[in-house]
Amino acid sequence: MSNSNAPTPPNPLTLLMPVVNGTSVQTLLTLISQNQAAIDAALTNIGTVHFARFLVLDTSVPNLQPASLTTASNLVLAVITEYDGSFASYISDFVGQLAQVFNALLSYVVGGSAVVPVQNNPTAFQNFVQANDASQNPAAPALYCAYPYTVQTILADCGSTASGAGA
Amino acid sequence: MNTSNIDYADVQGTILRGYRVNLARHFILQITDAAAAKRFIGSMVDGSPGVPQITTAARWSAKPDYFLNIGFTCVGLGKLGLTSQELATFDPSFQLGATNATTAAKVFDVGESAPGNWIGGLSDGNAVHLVLSLWVTQDPAVLEDKSSVLRRLFDTGMKELSSHDARALNDNRVHFGYRDSIAQPTIAGAPPRKRPIPDDQPVVATGEFLLGYPGGYGQLNPPTQPTALCKNGSYSAFRILEQDVQGFEAFLTTYAKQAGIDPEMLAAKVCGRWRNGNPLELMPNQEGAALPLSQLNDFTYVSSDQSQDDTLGLKCPIGSHIRRNNPRNEAVLGAGNLSSTHHRITRRAMPYGPAYDPKVPDNTPRGLIGHFINGSIANQFEFLMAQWDNTSSFVMSAPGTNCSGGNANSNISGEDIFLGVNDPSSSSFTISTCSNGKATSTTIQGFGRLITTRGGAYCFLPSITGLQYLANLGEPVG
Repeated sequence: MSNSNAPTPPNPLTLLMPVVNGTSVQTLLTLISQNQAAIDAALTNIGTVHFARFLVLDTSVPNLQPASLTTASNLVLAVITEYDGSFASYISDFVGQLAQVFNALLSYVVGGSAVVPVQNNPTAFQNFVQANDASQNPAAPALYCAYPYTVQTILADCGSTASGAGA
Repeated sequence: MNTSNIDYADVQGTILRGYRVNLARHFILQITDAAAAKRFIGSMVDGSPGVPQITTAARWSAKPDYFLNIGFTCVGLGKLGLTSQELATFDPSFQLGATNATTAAKVFDVGESAPGNWIGGLSDGNAVHLVLSLWVTQDPAVLEDKSSVLRRLFDTGMKELSSHDARALNDNRVHFGYRDSIAQPTIAGAPPRKRPIPDDQPVVATGEFLLGYPGGYGQLNPPTQPTALCKNGSYSAFRILEQDVQGFEAFLTTYAKQAGIDPEMLAAKVCGRWRNGNPLELMPNQEGAALPLSQLNDFTYVSSDQSQDDTLGLKCPIGSHIRRNNPRNEAVLGAGNLSSTHHRITRRAMPYGPAYDPKVPDNTPRGLIGHFINGSIANQFEFLMAQWDNTSSFVMSAPGTNCSGGNANSNISGEDIFLGVNDPSSSSFTISTCSNGKATSTTIQGFGRLITTRGGAYCFLPSITGLQYLANLGEPVG
C-alpha cells in the first residue's frame, strides 16, 4: 500500500534440498547449465528476483564443497535468491514459467517427485519450498540489505530499459 | 484438450454468459436440514414442475424471463456431506472463506470493510452455506413471483439469512456515473457475446474460468474429490460493495482544483474511461460522443508506434482503475507483458440502491452487488485486490518512447481509487504528463476510502452434474 519508491527490502530464499542418492554433481551442474538461459529469461520476465544462484553441496565434506564431479551421495541442491514481495502471490507465475526446469531438477531431489509436474501442483510445490527454505526457519537471522528497493525501481532509477517485456 | 467441446448444458450460465437484465435478487441461505436442502437442489436441476430451474450456458431460443444460479460456500458443501478430506482438494482460498482473518487481510477487507461489519448474516462465515442468485430481465412481478416460489421451496431445508436486490441504472451506468460492463475476458470455447465488444487481447485459457480444463500456463490442477465436482464448475467471490457517491463527487470537486484539471477529466483519469465509457487511450483530451461497441474496447497501452504508445500513462494513468485491474499488454510483474492473461476476472455485478440525486442528498445505501467469477480465487480475485489494487510496485521499469526522463514504474502511486483502502494519511494518485518533452507528474493525496465492503462469500459454482451429485449425496455418518 505504498508509493513505488518507498523502501521495500527484498526477502531471502535459501532452499536446501537433499539430493537422491546416485545423482552426481555433474548431472546436476549439467542440468542447471543447460537450463540457465531459460531460467534467466523467466526470472527477468517475472521481475521480482534480485539475485539467484544454485549450489551443489556435499554434506559429508567439512566445508560442504564436493571433492569431485562424480560424487553422487550426501549431496544437497541449494537455490539462493533475494526477491521482492510475496512468493505465494506469484507462485503460479513461477511454476508456470519455470515448470520445465523445476520438473527436471525436482526429479533428483528427495520428495521432489511427489510435487511434479509442478504446474499442476502449485500448492504442494509451495509447501515443499516452504518446508525446505532455511530462511523461513524462525531462528534464521535477518537479511541485511544495502538498498531496500525493488528490482523494478532500481531498473527505473538507474536508467535501464525494461527487461521484462515480452515472452 | 479440445475446449470447443464444452458441454454448455452442464455449465451454470453465469460463468460463461452475461445476462442482460434489469433486476436481481441474491438470497443468502443457511442449510437447516441437509436432506431437505438436497431435495431442493435436485428439484432445480431435474425439471420438477413449478420449480425454477438453474440456468445453464446452453443457447436459449427465446430469452428467458428469469435466470437462476447457485453457489456453495466450503462450510455449505460440508453441511451437504462432503468430507474434510474431500474439501481439502478444493481451491485453498475457497476453503478459508471470505470471513477468514487471513483472507480479509489479504484482500484489504479491513477497518470498516472488515467481515465483522458485514450485513445480512454474511459476517458469520460458518452460517452462510448457499448464495442463490435470481436475475430477472425486467418485470418486477416475475421477480416477486419466482421469489415467492423459491421461498416456499426453502421450507425446512434452508433458512433465508437475508436477500439483496439489485436494479440496473439507466444506460448501463453504475453509481459513480460510469458506464459499466464493457470489458470482459474472451474465454476459449465460451459462447460468443451477443454484442461483441472486440479487443485485441489474447483469448484466455478455458481453465482460468472453468474447472477441468487447462489454465493459462497449460496447467491442469489436480481434480477435486469427488470427481463429479471437478469439471465444468467454477468459483466466485460474491461481494456487496457500498459506494460513497457523495464522497466521490466531493473528491472530484476538491481534487480537480488541486490537480488543475476539470472534474470530469479527473473522473476519467482515476477510472481510465470517461463516464460514457470512452477510454482515455482513444479519447485522451475530451469525452466526445460515445464510441460504438466495436471501438470501446479496441485499445491497448504499449505500442511500438511512438504516436500510439502510452507506456508512461500520459493518456491513461497507470494507476487508473481499468489499467490496474487489466494491464493489457503493459509489462507488470509475473509474466511481463502477458501478465494480464493470467489474472482476468469475469464480473457479474449490478447496482443496488436508488440513483443518487445531488439535489436531494441522502444516506441510503447504494453500490454494486454480484459475483466475480474465476477458476482460481488466489490467482485472480485475490491477486487483483492484493497486488494490483492495493500496491503500486507491480509495474515494470519501462522508459517509454515519447517523453524523456519518465518511467512507467514511477508513474503510479498509492492504491486504486475505487477498491483501495485509501487511508488519508497515505493515499495517493499520480497523473503523468509530458511537458516540453520532459516527463512530469502531479500527485494528489489525502483522499479517503470510497467503497466499503458490506458483505462477501467465496462460492463454488458446481456444474449441473455436480448439482445432481450433491442432491443425491448420502447423508453424512454420525
